Amino acid sequence: MGKLMIVNGSPRAPKSNSKLYIQAFLSGWSGAYELYSLTQRRQEDCLASLEQCSDLLLVFPLYTDGLPSGLMAFLQALLAQPPSHPLRVHMAINCGFLEPSQNDVAVDMIRLFCKRGGHSFGACLRISCGEAFPTTPFMAIARRKLRKLASAIAKGRPVQLTASMPLTKRMFLRAAQRYWLGRGRSFGVSEEEMSTLEIEGP
Amino acid sequence: MDLILTDRHLPSLSLPDNTPVIHVAEQKIAPCVGCFGCWIKTPGRCVIRDDAPAIYPAIARCDRLLVVSRLLLGCYDLPMKRLVERSLPNQQAFIRLHHGESHHVQRAVQPKQLTVVAYGAQDQEERDLFRRWLGRNSLNTLAEDYTILFADSEAQAEELAGKVVRAWVN
Repeated sequence: MGKLMIVNGSPRAPKSNSKLYIQAFLSGWSGAYELYSLTQRRQEDCLASLEQCSDLLLVFPLYTDGLPSGLMAFLQALLAQPPSHPLRVHMAINCGFLEPSQNDVAVDMIRLFCKRGGHSFGACLRISCGEAFPTTPFMAIARRKLRKLASAIAKGRPVQLTASMPLTKRMFLRAAQRYWLGRGRSFGVSEEEMSTLEIEGP
Repeated sequence: MDLILTDRHLPSLSLPDNTPVIHVAEQKIAPCVGCFGCWIKTPGRCVIRDDAPAIYPAIARCDRLLVVSRLLLGCYDLPMKRLVERSLPNQQAFIRLHHGESHHVQRAVQPKQLTVVAYGAQDQEERDLFRRWLGRNSLNTLAEDYTILFADSEAQAEELAGKVVRAWVN
């Protein structure tokens, strides 16, 4: 295979979990690659560089049950300005919910993009429990799957992988509660304040 | 309360005086930056103070919502999708089980009847994908009572929107 273009599709790319997942992916990747974040506002450079790439890896969070709008805009631009050859498109998507299947619609949106652009859909990793995942010992599970993804892309194998924390629903709800309360505390915001029903004030 | 969100002008629509119509594509709505400020720093308020904070409370309050939107890759096109993303303050960070799946807890969001007039789909696959996306998103917006009307053209979208509003009035 030729060069791999990795696109971080997170709207908070420099501080994103997607960035951590890309770092874990790269620990298992030995081929040539370029890295681009959608927040860098260098979309034209990225589209031009795709001319030298055979593969594209999209790493992004599930956003309101679909693709982040920034990634949608990028894919729209790529449909309008395609490279002269078809790409193999791979993805690693992460959602903050327990169930990896909550990513399925977004995966099929990327499949539709591939069909529209004449590209082929390659390897895919669906990560769940994503928001807290990198802060737990379970990150080893995600790292292992990301290295598997890297190996599959290098060998041209269109694998479908999932990575999730081995938690029951009850355990997940408790862990999520603890995680978000901790995030709130770091801003001096209490559980009661975080639980307000008010939207934009009373 | 009724609310209409649209990404195109609907000049032929005849509305009762008190029905708000928001032309989403003409609003200043920046993309969500994923800071989670509306969950952990200023709960219920987005830190970006553009036009979105005047709209998402109205989405939460309404009990009948009509959305007119072009489709892109089986989802709302960018103007409406950005607004959906910026409506995150309507939810809490906390997670509950809803229909056996994990979903965010809602703030004061009125369960609503949602009608979507969707235009610009390129094929049946995109329509099917949009149906699946809306089905999932409706679980996170208390809009589980929803109807999708697919239009083959913008003119037909306007015509279908008119039918929905006439049914509201009657």
